Formats: sequence, C-alpha cells, structure tokens
Amino acid sequence: MRRSLAAISRIFAVIFALMLFGQGSQAHFQMLYTPDLAPVRGQATHLVMPFSHPVHGGPNMDINKPEAFYMLSQRGRAAQRKKVDLMSYLTPVTWSSSINSSAAFEAKLPRKLTRSLGDYVFVLQPSPYYEAEEDKYIQQYTKTVMNVGAVPGNWADPADLPVEIIPLDKPYANWRGGVFRGVVTAGGKPVPYAALEIEYINYRVDMKLPGFVGAAAVQLPQDSFGTMGIKTNAVGEFVIGLPRAGWWGICALDLVPGSLHKGKPLSVDAVLWLQAREMN
Amino acid sequence: MKRMLAAVAVIALVSQTFAHTPLCDCFDNGDDTISCEGGFSDGASAAGMSIRVYDDREKILIDTVMDAESSISFKRPQIESYTVVFDAGIGHLVTVYSDDIE
Repeated sequence: MRRSLAAISRIFAVIFALMLFGQGSQAHFQMLYTPDLAPVRGQATHLVMPFSHPVHGGPNMDINKPEAFYMLSQRGRAAQRKKVDLMSYLTPVTWSSSINSSAAFEAKLPRKLTRSLGDYVFVLQPSPYYEAEEDKYIQQYTKTVMNVGAVPGNWADPADLPVEIIPLDKPYANWRGGVFRGVVTAGGKPVPYAALEIEYINYRVDMKLPGFVGAAAVQLPQDSFGTMGIKTNAVGEFVIGLPRAGWWGICALDLVPGSLHKGKPLSVDAVLWLQAREMN
Repeated sequence: MKRMLAAVAVIALVSQTFAHTPLCDCFDNGDDTISCEGGFSDGASAAGMSIRVYDDREKILIDTVMDAESSISFKRPQIESYTVVFDAGIGHLVTVYSDDIE
C-alpha cells in the first residue's frame, strides 16, 4: 500500500511539473527587481534580472546580455530628467530556484548614482528570447520605478519606449487592498483591448544567492489565479486590484503584431513592476 | 454669496499651500564638501528656498538659498557637530544633523 501511494505521489509530481513546464510562453516575466522601491534615504541599489515565471518560482529561462539598461531620474516635476546608461554595471549571474537555474543578470549600483531624492525609472531592454515551444522570439521592454525620499519626479512620464506601460498611480506607493491603474502604449499611442497578464512574485527573493527561496506564499486554486489575464479598455487603460503586499508584475503582450526577428515572429511586450505594502 | 465663494477660495488656496511636505537630505561628497537637496512631496521645486547651517550653539554658519536645481553645496564646517535647516516657510522646517550626513 505504501509503495502504491509513493508511486501515485511520483506520478502526480511528474504531472504537476509537466503542467508547469508545459505553459509555453505564457506568463514569461522579465524581472527587474530591487527589494525596496521606496527607500527613505538614497543608498546603493542592487537589481536582479531573471527571466522567469514568478508566481510559480520558475521555470527560469536563460537570457543573453540585454540590448539596453539605463535609468531616467528626476527630482521634482519641474526638474530636468537625467538619463544614465547602466550597461557597464551588468554582471552575469546564475538565478536559482527549486525548479531550475538559469543565466540572468544583476547590477549593483553605487550610492552616488541613487542617493538623490526623486524618482528613478529603471529601463531594461532585453535581447529577444527564443521560445522553442512556439518557434518565436519574445522581447519584453521592462520598467521598474523606484523613489527616494518621497519627492516625486518622472514616475508618470513615458520613457519613450516602442511599447510601454505608463503608470497612472505611483508604482512604488501602493497599499495592499488598493488598486493600480495604467495605460498600455505602442508607438506612443494607447492600445485598446491589449492582452495583459498579471503575476505576483510568490517566492521570497534572496538577493545574495540570487534566486527564489522557500515555499510559495500563496496556494493557487488553479492557474487562472496565478497568471491573471485581463484586457485594456477602449482607450488602453487598465485597473488591477492588489490583494496582497509584495511585488506585482504586469505584462502587456504582443503589442506590435507582425514583428519579426531572425525571420521568426517576435512578441514585443511591455512589463511594469510595482510594490504593494502592508498597512501596519 | 460672494463672501462665501471668497471664503471657499481662500480655504482651497490654503489647502494647496499646505498639501505638500518639505523634504531634504544631505550628502558628504568625500572631498570636504557637503551637498544638500530639497524638494516637496508634491514635486514642487525648492529653488530659492532658504537653507541655513548652524553650529552646536545655534550660531548661523551659512545662510543661503537652494539653487535652480533645488540643491546647494558648501564646504564642510570644520566642527564636530552642526545642523542643516531647510526652511520652506511658515513652520515648514526640515533639520538634517551632521551625524546623519554620509
């Protein structure tokens, strides 16, 4: 009896793993993570950049060196926006999780770069990733917005990317239980009825490892709750609820239909990350 | 009716004036100079706002204003303890102690 139970458990484990890996390109998220999006004072900033399925803690995909990585900072609404290229700070790392390890990148920015009050919009333009299961490429233009010391700046401004999610609420100042709004654009224009996927980072991020550690914070009733699919409205806007403190990723899919890379279809996506806080 | 509208207008203006919080931080540049930056929680500029540096007996060492970029740099006072006060007016003061300047 014990042997048959063990065999059944193994079968279920294999089925579960197949379900996870069998999700194909759905719910890929380029992460651009730093633990605190709203530090009181400026400090050195450590960012990690795995390409993952954060609600499941993987599988994680190997990525090549990004095409661009920079920050747009601004202290105050009337101030000049500053652009700082951060490519020289990129370092290859191995991202680990209980599912698999992958080639990723991190950046350790010195305090002199992020000590000032104001907003910092980090922008990552990864190299197109080849998704063999669907014989296509994926490129996710990714933004993470940090604020130092509560002086706002350019958090709501377009970063002038080919595709992007422009926040209508500060991505770094959200309470659990609140909502978050944004506009999806392509070529600077809103995209009506764009398909979006929303995921929660369901595992603790260990910055030293770096990787996902521990058990899932939330058990999913089924996968519709893991990768939540929504659409923008007729003017390209969306609203999501934030039922749990932590990190939430929003990915707008395939915003430039017909795009090609190396003769194969290219899904040009836009990703935005936000952090919700517990109201303690 | 006109008086009522005027009163509403004044309240609105006062609310707008006080809806923002002054914010300030200072940094040791490592070259014997200190830089301070100011701003407001609503993103308003701190250009032209008063900033003063006091010694530990409240004697004013530096009395100046934030520049066009809402910042100011000065030679680090050659004393053990000093304070920087960002004065945004009408009781809107932010104090940064030298011990907290890194």
